[in-house]
Amino acid sequence: MTPEDFERLQALMATRAGFRLTRDRMHLAEHRLGPIARREGFDSVQALLDNLWTKPVASLAWAVIETLLNSETWFRRDREAFESFSRELLPAIGMARPGGLVRVWSAGCGSGQEAYSLAMSARDAKANVEIVATDLSLKAIERARAGAYTGFEIQRGLSASMMLRWFEPLDDHWVARAELQQAVQFNRSNLLDEPIDGPRFDVIFCRYLLKDMEPMRRVAVIEALERRLVDDGCLFVGADERLEGDSVAFRPVNGRKGLFVKSPASISRAA
Amino acid sequence: MDPRTCLIVDDSRIIRKVARRIVEGLGFEVDEAADGAEALAWCGSAMPDVVLLDWNMPVMDGLSFLRRLRTLPGGEVPKVLFCTVETAPERIAEALSAGADDYVMKPFDGEILQSKLAEVGAV
Repeated sequence: MTPEDFERLQALMATRAGFRLTRDRMHLAEHRLGPIARREGFDSVQALLDNLWTKPVASLAWAVIETLLNSETWFRRDREAFESFSRELLPAIGMARPGGLVRVWSAGCGSGQEAYSLAMSARDAKANVEIVATDLSLKAIERARAGAYTGFEIQRGLSASMMLRWFEPLDDHWVARAELQQAVQFNRSNLLDEPIDGPRFDVIFCRYLLKDMEPMRRVAVIEALERRLVDDGCLFVGADERLEGDSVAFRPVNGRKGLFVKSPASISRAA
Repeated sequence: MDPRTCLIVDDSRIIRKVARRIVEGLGFEVDEAADGAEALAWCGSAMPDVVLLDWNMPVMDGLSFLRRLRTLPGGEVPKVLFCTVETAPERIAEALSAGADDYVMKPFDGEILQSKLAEVGAV
């Protein structure tokens, strides 16, 4: 891979996914493109890239984009967020909604661990929730829907008793039981193309995604999230992520890492 | 505060070494035992905060150790995590109902162990 190839990959990731492919990921990129090159019948990563630049095929470009995203995730990542969600937010929001129904969105759900963690927490709290999970990667959405995790993945963040209760072993994997799979609706969708008037949610989890975005796209996504959140709703980002400086749409909640609510400015603008 | 203590019980010296490196990295002071009987002797003199416990071992296996431990004075205190190659749901359920706080299937890594210890409130 030449420096020029890498720059073109950076541009591809920025325009299509809003993803900031930093220079330190050049070797990682080369490493991850290897399997795609082999699968698509190219002799080398270089041959794959040469082909990609001369006659761009949408499906090949998407396979490249999906593999270069940072899709690392695990169950109950930042445990405090899930505890705030089930102990504080679900009861409080549920009380203020018809039928106690709380609508939740896992935005950028990757392979689904966050959405399933939310579903398990909600069930334990006996809450009435509707959970939608989206990701721009079709591969990730297919994995999430299948709900099959390796021994390493299933144990990362999940206690053995939760694992036994919600998953069953199949071959070398642990697969989400039907009841859990049905609790989450997984859809492929790109945050850069979110409709302005899409359905609104009471709680949005969008964690460890904004930090990897191009600054301009990041602002657009934060504003899209603001439009899709009800005025008294809550947004969770990663425990160490900040929104200040990018947008005045949200303000942090004191003492709750990663938890944001709408700022008075964005509420009055909507009214 | 005194450093928290972890007793690693496994008949494989290599597994003990790997596990030791991980839990020392999390700030624990570590002791090792090669079977359940040796582990009971350790617990009789000083109860650890955490026990990482293999299942199949010579002399006394992990499940027998756990049942004996829980009847000792102060034996309900340590957080016990099974760490074994057994992955059948019945065996996992058996270990949990015998008083294990959590269960780790081998192979595991530092991230798994850290998240399991966090779930039981040991780190």
